[in-house]
Amino acid sequence: ALSSASAASGTAFYEQGKIRISCAVYGPRQGRRSNARAGSFDCDFRYAPFACSWKRRSHVRGADEKEISLILEHAVAPAIRLEAYPKACIDAFVTVIESDGKAATIAAAINCISAALADAGIEMYDSVAACSMGLAGARWVADCAQPEEDAALCSMLIAYMPGADEITYILQHGKTTPEQTDQAVQTCTDMCARVYAVICRYLQSSLE
Amino acid sequence: MASLILSPAEQDYITQGVERGLRADGRGGLDRREVTLRTNMISQANGSARCRTGYLGVGTDVLVGIKAEVNSWTAGEPEDRGAVVCSVECSPSAAQEFEGYGAEELNVELTQLLDRILGGPQSGLDLGKLCIIPKQAYWVLHVDALVLDVKGSIVDTLVWAARAALLATRLPRVVVESIADEDGNMQSEFDVVDDAEDQVALEGAENLPLAVTFSQIGKRYVVDASEQEEAVTQARVTVAVSPQMDICAIQKSATARGFAPSLLTEILHSARAIAREEHARFKRVFEAASSDGAAGEPSTGSTFLGTF
Repeated sequence: ALSSASAASGTAFYEQGKIRISCAVYGPRQGRRSNARAGSFDCDFRYAPFACSWKRRSHVRGADEKEISLILEHAVAPAIRLEAYPKACIDAFVTVIESDGKAATIAAAINCISAALADAGIEMYDSVAACSMGLAGARWVADCAQPEEDAALCSMLIAYMPGADEITYILQHGKTTPEQTDQAVQTCTDMCARVYAVICRYLQSSLE
Repeated sequence: MASLILSPAEQDYITQGVERGLRADGRGGLDRREVTLRTNMISQANGSARCRTGYLGVGTDVLVGIKAEVNSWTAGEPEDRGAVVCSVECSPSAAQEFEGYGAEELNVELTQLLDRILGGPQSGLDLGKLCIIPKQAYWVLHVDALVLDVKGSIVDTLVWAARAALLATRLPRVVVESIADEDGNMQSEFDVVDDAEDQVALEGAENLPLAVTFSQIGKRYVVDASEQEEAVTQARVTVAVSPQMDICAIQKSATARGFAPSLLTEILHSARAIAREEHARFKRVFEAASSDGAAGEPSTGSTFLGTF
């Protein structure tokens, strides 16, 4: 286990600058649909009430947390060998302890889930690494903190599987020219490969 | 998205067909279905539109109503802008799995996606013009969408209907007066003109984007997936493009797989070409819908449901 929650199959705690995220993976365990030919992956994303700088969040899950849960599912599920777990479900519970920039926090959550899934021993095609960028004027800036994100014209989030060479998630929020988008996709994908190397190195060292 | 349960043989049939460039209804990979549009049928709303994508009167059907409200400014909000708030609901009558809380996840996904496309400066709307008095009052446009029927490609139809509704929206004119009070400070007051003939359109509404959704099936991708094609879709990406060919939003969905980076770049290029055609088509269809004699016609129940 890489973090607390000893009842979980796998856990991970991820820090990136001021962002701190903890993830616990439960599974494979009995699924809700007994006739499913492939497993299902569900993600529950929550901010801790004190996580965001702008105001206290309530314990009730807001619409943006529900959407981010879906984003995380769409980004990470392609990497899991769900056909190896029929009738089972794999649940990931992500808690953001401290957040700094929405796109950067989602990227960090994706990285955290990848590490927790590996810790749980879930069969995967590859780990998913994610990275975010913000458009400041005419240049793309990597991994924006909250004040930088508020000032940025556009934010881009990409999740990538370097081994399989597949972009599992892309999210652009804001207006850009097509050339700027192409440039961002290129740069972000390269950065994801670097983040992936860090995750792999850490997972390997945690086995020793 | 809501999907059918298809047998493995049907799934294979569709997948292999798409890989050979054949779609079940005879379209090409980048062809979209027929669109029927009707605007301003809801007299209580500031703007409304109903859009259906499909053939022979059956297809994905979305109804969008716009209601404008005046909000009082509170500290922390932008001082000189109005706001656009989106909400999408899939009607429980559209599909069996939408009953009760079944559509909740889909509603959240569609609401956030529409908000991402329309809710800020990237939508092209002039939010500054929606401010009535800085630090005091501003217009809030509530974009409420109701998905009435689902036959594949909800997002594209949703954005079409929202764009048509916003273009058809008319706000009452506001008169702002500045009066000096006892201390000599200038106080501003506004008055909403209650005249149905004296209304203004939304500034910048012609800059609103349209969405194109690409669905990957097997090794090829298609645009405007039908219900059956959506059931076999492994990865989907929605690209919102403005009339000036700027990319306003990109969002991927579906969980079976991701996109190869080269395929994603190809899709982004295709998106622009298709968006250009879509914007031209939108203009034609919208002008036909607006000049359809609807101005003098009373919107009774039969015109709403019957001749559509």
